[in-house]
Amino acid sequence: MATVSETTLVAPQNESGTKWWTRFLDPSERTLAVLLLMPAALLLTLIIVYPVCRLIWTSFQNLSLTSGLPATFAGLENYSLMLDDPVFWETTRNTVLITLITVPGALFVGLALALMANLPFNVKWPVRLSLLIPWALPLSFAGLIFAWFFHSEYGVVNDVLRRLGIEGVIWFNSANWAFAAICLTIIWKTSSFMALIILAGLQTIPRSLYEAADVDGAGRLRQFFEITLPLLKPAIVVALIFRTITALQTFDIPFTMTRGGPGTSTATLAMYIHQNTVDFLDLGYGSALAVVMFALSMAVTAVYLRMIRAKG
Amino acid sequence: MSHDTTASRSLFSGTPLRILIGFILVVNGMFPALWILFTSLKTEAELTVKPITWLPHAPTVANYLRAFTDQPLLLFLFNSFMVAILSTALTLFISVLAAYALARLQIRGRDLILSAIIAVSTFPLVTLLVPLFEIMRALGLLNTWVALILPYTVLSLPVCTLILVSFFEGIPRDLENSAMIDGCTRIGALFKVVVPLSAPGVFTAGILAFVNAWDEFLLALSFNSNPALRTLPVGITLYQGEFAFPWPVISAALVVGIVPVAVLIVIFQERVVSGLTSGGIKG
Repeated sequence: MATVSETTLVAPQNESGTKWWTRFLDPSERTLAVLLLMPAALLLTLIIVYPVCRLIWTSFQNLSLTSGLPATFAGLENYSLMLDDPVFWETTRNTVLITLITVPGALFVGLALALMANLPFNVKWPVRLSLLIPWALPLSFAGLIFAWFFHSEYGVVNDVLRRLGIEGVIWFNSANWAFAAICLTIIWKTSSFMALIILAGLQTIPRSLYEAADVDGAGRLRQFFEITLPLLKPAIVVALIFRTITALQTFDIPFTMTRGGPGTSTATLAMYIHQNTVDFLDLGYGSALAVVMFALSMAVTAVYLRMIRAKG
Repeated sequence: MSHDTTASRSLFSGTPLRILIGFILVVNGMFPALWILFTSLKTEAELTVKPITWLPHAPTVANYLRAFTDQPLLLFLFNSFMVAILSTALTLFISVLAAYALARLQIRGRDLILSAIIAVSTFPLVTLLVPLFEIMRALGLLNTWVALILPYTVLSLPVCTLILVSFFEGIPRDLENSAMIDGCTRIGALFKVVVPLSAPGVFTAGILAFVNAWDEFLLALSFNSNPALRTLPVGITLYQGEFAFPWPVISAALVVGIVPVAVLIVIFQERVVSGLTSGGIKG
């Protein structure tokens, strides 16, 4: 690489500049590593590290853009306000319920889809696409599509129920049915990603294990519980962590399906944060709510990581 | 899926049963999109017939014309496309650099950096709504593409970096070294040798980043309230009137929004599956 500067000797006045460039383009390994990681580090600092610090700071402030007053230190006021706020408790309860219902729901549906998709089909692309399309569909689109599905008059769900001789319900007029519709939509939307991850795990299980089990006379069911499930565990745990974290952030589907209604009966914590921040411009209170969600998802990650380590 | 490897293999043996199971899978995956396509082709009158019809009796494209004229759908598509493509380009550039450092260079604390990347991938970006809103406001970036491009880049950076690290590790060092003997700098070798040879990985990472950005809703809704800068998912919610819900028009707009990503998925399905699952299992 030293030859680079020799070729530029014709312009000696530029020599120091050339050397600087040479050093820049071909730095020592350590300098290069720092340079290469710098853009990622800068971006993460701007979008995650600094905002996290700012979030915690703002949550202890009185900061409402509608009042026009400068921010003042509020101590724990936002947090004590939260404890007495029934909407906070309702949205938190909804968020936790959605997580507790849709994460296992997506896991079971996803496992079933993966087992079915793992059959030796002659033509593979329709099955693969059927798992990919729900994944690629934006959550907000899924919310709108299923809002139409569950339409009380012209929705396909009530039509199918009617054909089966069951009286349909006015889904979005009742808190419980609206909540059920939202959970079903989330399970449909997220189970295909679960299925793709589990399917990839299934395909890494060596066939010889099942052949050996056949020889030993183990039945299909026993093979499933003693070979398939244990070997799938790493893939399932990873998928569960991601799914749980995203379930805690649920926003798009309830927002597009019900706007949180009737009342606030299907609103989630993320929707309440959004409302306080963007609609009410109450940044202090919005931040305190976000800190709670942050703590919730950190706790989930910690529990899962411990589970992985404990069972190795 | 080349051979049957699981316990399910003879549980579901027999062709008719297998066809039935394939049918269930396809209906589960495709029916919602198909239903919205049928709805988009129906006339307003047919939509309010009871009992409802399934296939459109007199297909019409009128709803598509209205979708483009009632709201600036083309503008929404353009905003979505530009935000997605620019954040994909930025994500790829930053993650190629970072992945090369992690795959090839001696770095102290490499494992720590990798764990930090995985931690970022599970980070709930929703919680940063307030500070990001404040930062974008302070920088005068609200109602610009940049307000979305930066967070979307962070959204996809972890998974793209992990995919690229594993691809870069598979490129023989000799190829890089011979390029450097030929006078390439190390960064030159990265972009002239390593990246082209990892094209499938770069491509996979790019599709994931594009789909992530195309799908995002909350930040787009919060940061770009100006109708001229709305992305497609946010723009489509504008079709809902105060009381009216013009379902055929919304359906047509949804179909228009689904097509670009569906085309991408159909063409690159195997790449996408490998990217999703490698990122998932590694993560």
